[in-house]
Amino acid sequence: MPVHRPRLPAACAAALGVAATLSGPARAIEPELTTDSSAQAYDVRSPTGQTVLERTRFTSALGVNLYDILGHDPRRRDAPELSFRARVRYDADYGVGGSESNPINAVSFVPGTRDGAGMVDLMYAYLEGRRFAHGALGFKLGRQYMVDSLGWWSFDGAEVKATFPFYLAVEAYGGLEVRGGLPLSTPRFEAGGVWRGDRSGWDPLLYPQFQPADVAPAFGAALEASGVTWLRSRLTYRRVYDTGSVGLTEFPNANLPPTTYSATRISTDRLGYAVEADLRRWGSVKAGLAYDLYDVRFSQIYAALELFATKRLTLGLDYDYFAPTFDGDSIWNVFAGEPVNDVSARASYVHGHLAVSAGATARVYTVDTAPSNPASASPNLAPTNAGYYPTNGHPFDEGGDVSARYRWGEGSVGLRGAVNVGDAGDRVGVDVSGQRVLETRYLFKGRAGVWQWDDKLRPDRDATNVGYMLGVGYRFAPRCQTMFEWQHDMNRLVGQRFRALLTLGVAYGR
Amino acid sequence: MTLLPSPRAALSLLGALALAVALALAAPSPTSAAPAGPGPAPSGLPGLAPMPGDVAVPLSLLPPGAETPDEGPSPAIFPPQRMTLRFSHVRHAGMGVLCTTCHARVTASDSATDRLLPAATTCDGCHGSDHADLNAVLPGTAPRGACAYCHLSHGPGDGNHVAAVDLPRPNLVFTHKRHLARGVPCARCHGEVGELELATRDQLPRMVGCLSCHQQTDSAGPHAARSACTTCHLGELGDGGEHSRRESFRGSGGRIRTVFASGTLKPPRWLGGAQHTPDWLERHREVAAADSQLCASCHTEGYCTDCHDGRVRPRSIHPGDYLSMHPIEARMATTRCSSCHQEQSFCLTCHMRVGVTMSGPPGTQEAGRFHPPKAVWSDAPRQAGHHAFEAQRNVSACVSCHTERDCVVCHGGLGIGGGMNPHHAGFASTCRSQYRRNPRPCLVCHEPGESNLAECR
Repeated sequence: MPVHRPRLPAACAAALGVAATLSGPARAIEPELTTDSSAQAYDVRSPTGQTVLERTRFTSALGVNLYDILGHDPRRRDAPELSFRARVRYDADYGVGGSESNPINAVSFVPGTRDGAGMVDLMYAYLEGRRFAHGALGFKLGRQYMVDSLGWWSFDGAEVKATFPFYLAVEAYGGLEVRGGLPLSTPRFEAGGVWRGDRSGWDPLLYPQFQPADVAPAFGAALEASGVTWLRSRLTYRRVYDTGSVGLTEFPNANLPPTTYSATRISTDRLGYAVEADLRRWGSVKAGLAYDLYDVRFSQIYAALELFATKRLTLGLDYDYFAPTFDGDSIWNVFAGEPVNDVSARASYVHGHLAVSAGATARVYTVDTAPSNPASASPNLAPTNAGYYPTNGHPFDEGGDVSARYRWGEGSVGLRGAVNVGDAGDRVGVDVSGQRVLETRYLFKGRAGVWQWDDKLRPDRDATNVGYMLGVGYRFAPRCQTMFEWQHDMNRLVGQRFRALLTLGVAYGR
Repeated sequence: MTLLPSPRAALSLLGALALAVALALAAPSPTSAAPAGPGPAPSGLPGLAPMPGDVAVPLSLLPPGAETPDEGPSPAIFPPQRMTLRFSHVRHAGMGVLCTTCHARVTASDSATDRLLPAATTCDGCHGSDHADLNAVLPGTAPRGACAYCHLSHGPGDGNHVAAVDLPRPNLVFTHKRHLARGVPCARCHGEVGELELATRDQLPRMVGCLSCHQQTDSAGPHAARSACTTCHLGELGDGGEHSRRESFRGSGGRIRTVFASGTLKPPRWLGGAQHTPDWLERHREVAAADSQLCASCHTEGYCTDCHDGRVRPRSIHPGDYLSMHPIEARMATTRCSSCHQEQSFCLTCHMRVGVTMSGPPGTQEAGRFHPPKAVWSDAPRQAGHHAFEAQRNVSACVSCHTERDCVVCHGGLGIGGGMNPHHAGFASTCRSQYRRNPRPCLVCHEPGESNLAECR
């Protein structure tokens, strides 16, 4: 089946072109340029301390924002507004060996690995219109993020939002999901469960489980509360299609050549809803859900109640249900991944510059206590004898956390501690941190912590880590600063681990 | 090659950094930026405080939205003031003086930057003074005409010199003219100033009071009080410079300015439950899910993606030697990895390079076994530590290390794999829908003609 490559740069170029066309007199545009760069060096060792990867990473992002492209009457804050925002990122790891990224070298090649040449991805680039048609119409055109009860998502396309005077907005969008392996794209926001990327030019027998990336048409719609300030509510639906060929044969050989499936099929098909209502002096209520129409089950349900016990004290009770779901191409959708249920109690106290929060959580799992498919025609070779299955079908973990922060004009100190106890492992530790700005330009920060973890599955990986981080920086303009951080961790698994991090952020607005 | 320094160099660097950070944290703070008053004032006189005897102002006299105990309006919006005048509103109101008698310019004011205190000459008519020439003010002959009658700390030898009143401009967009034209009374925003002596900063509006009217969409009529943040808040360009202080500046794509010399704007707890308490990291997703624009009112996409698509580990989220500790947290799902990482790209690639995965390249295969011994991981009984038990608890952790073939080898249908059924209870009732929408997962483990597939077709 022919593989279609997306025309992502074309969409971005079109957005830029429209922005330039509509920009009008140069004096009307409010430009902003940002660059953020980081260089970091550290090493990675396996859980048994054997393999060491040297990571020497450089990441740089360049942002271009053009605001108020149409210009406006300063006395009319409700006038239509047009803006353009784009951010492109370069990410390279100079510690990657050339053989790891070369498919010719089957001994050490890892699909998806980039060598020191790095990769460039367009994080977002869109033209946004607000308050057109007397405030009723808004739109976004280009590569953009979407955040709602279905999680983070990114696509190339168009979104149109109509806002009605009666507290309701309707949104519709369509385009192509951003997928790893396609030009200027990252796999970060695609559905999980499929190992996918650019495998053009590869031997079909090489890593057949690494699936070829192809365009993923998508569309969706949302209804959202608008205008009223005590209620936030969003009902959202999204469907994404997988296209192109996907491999079916996991173990190809001379007798079993690779077979593929090429029909257009569902990648994700989800419905979500979230609501938050302020009860002003009393508290707030939040609730939400995500239903996976492909998996025919809820992937998430949550509810949270906050009570303003006093002017400074807030108490909260949370419930969270989560069942993992994946891309429609993933076999793990049909595996017995069961949901987890969290129940948490929280308290926060804020008094002036001091804020303290504490919480406790119980996480309940679900596991089989008997064969799940005794009547299935599929052979289930698991033993059915007494004693094979656990007697408790709902094991649980428990945990708690406490965090505190004291801020003053030019600095802050904080504490964060957590305890988590469960069948898979225990973790307990605390971090203290502080940061200070002197004379508005000299930056200092530090962090120190002790964390102990017990690995119940492999007790030989238990360890206690003592670590600290020290950082100094200089701010040469309000949004322009550089920072150097030195991190040092010590534990019996890795001995001494160091990490050096240098960041530089520069922003300019006319 | 490594960029990491030698132990001796590292020790020197560490010492220098530790010394610098310790000195910085211990350095004394500059004195508060809040303007100081002119000094002690004579007690017992009216007009020195809002209420006689400087008792707390009752809630009924404060602006709508004030709380008990009241902490005043946000200093980020209304910076601290220095009031060097003695004045009794209640006494003036009792004499029939209207608000607009003294604050005459308020009816024409179209900007929050306008100075709306009465000119000193306004007082002259009753007090007998003459402020026509501020370089040569003539006091009145009656006691109420003396400089010290109104100007605090004015002494006999001070002549024309009085302590300055400092009322910094509010960091807000506001037009008194439009509000008055629509019949909004002064008390709707300022409380019952006419019943107080001195009106202080505490009589300035509270945001929650504004929202009693500002509840309309952007598409509402031309006279509606819209609730968009930029209706009242200054736009943000981001450089924090003079440019974004312009009240007329709005071209920020809907983002508001949050950092001011007098403080930083943070959402109150009654606004979307979005108070940024220390546990905000755990709570913020519920707020973001219900409103696509709330976070974007203050934050850029880049701010959010620093974590949600981050390339630099945030130690505030991943503490200590997280590279060694993260397997436990991933299995327990204390923090949901998929909130910021795609397991089959971010996690799997690194795990393959390190050699802990089953499908990694042969050159990186590690001698050690990652999972528990076979007797626990695969053999009976099925208990904590058994792979089926762990997969049911958190299959996402499996996905971060394994490719499909690792599971298909045993769980694929007979002829493809070992035939061990991996499906959950009730799968037969949903598989038909799944097959119709995307049969690919089925066809990985089952031959197209296999009888097991018939019930899902």
